[in-house]
Amino acid sequence: MEVKSLNLEGVWVVEVAGEINLSTSQALKKSFEKLPVKKIVVDLVGVSYIDSSGLATLVELLKKTKSQGGSMGLAGMSEKVKSLFEITKLDKLFQIYPGQKEAVNSIK
Amino acid sequence: MAKNTERKEFQIPTDLSGVQKASAKALAFLKPLDLGEPCVFDIRLCLEEALINAMKYGNRLEKGLQVRLVVEYEAGREVRIAVEDQGSGFDVKSVEDCTQKKNLLRGHGRGVYLIHQLMDEVKFNAKGNRVLMVKRFKRQH
Repeated sequence: MEVKSLNLEGVWVVEVAGEINLSTSQALKKSFEKLPVKKIVVDLVGVSYIDSSGLATLVELLKKTKSQGGSMGLAGMSEKVKSLFEITKLDKLFQIYPGQKEAVNSIK
Repeated sequence: MAKNTERKEFQIPTDLSGVQKASAKALAFLKPLDLGEPCVFDIRLCLEEALINAMKYGNRLEKGLQVRLVVEYEAGREVRIAVEDQGSGFDVKSVEDCTQKKNLLRGHGRGVYLIHQLMDEVKFNAKGNRVLMVKRFKRQH
């Protein structure tokens, strides 16, 4: 799994590529810890696989962001990854955008 | 066992770092079925969730204990995967619904739910230390 962070118009964009699973979700959590959480977009366009621990890591980030009065969005999910959010009703919890641009424009 | 059934059994040490390797071996065994990517994704996810639960909650991460994995398929019909731990079992009914509003923000509890949603049939034994998951499919071509 690779994680790249960049700041676009005041929004922290975290681009994740690869698999978010039990062996990589801790590393993802650590990369989130380094970022200020006021406005954050997690771009999942490069994510080919996610398991329940990956979903839990994103939920933890959402909780942290909300507790500090911030906003968070998810972007670029594949149909398969998006279906897992829908199955677990996490699509009701997260703001989900088709792409990074739409997410940044909404969150900024 | 039906004539066109293939079966493979694996004994997996309780070590979370070995889950993906075990899952890869199981998926390699299923390769002749030429299942589509979405089907393979579902099977892989459910298998790994079941293995993780068996190691974490069933065997309580005790290194000396094993997880038994049996993968069977009937070409053109279904894949059956059984995961069994050496623990004392658990009450399947005690698993809360992760999609209820009060549980949505929880940091755990989605694995079993995903298995139920992605597989066509899921059965736990009475003790709660063995799960059988069935995925039915049609030939790709």
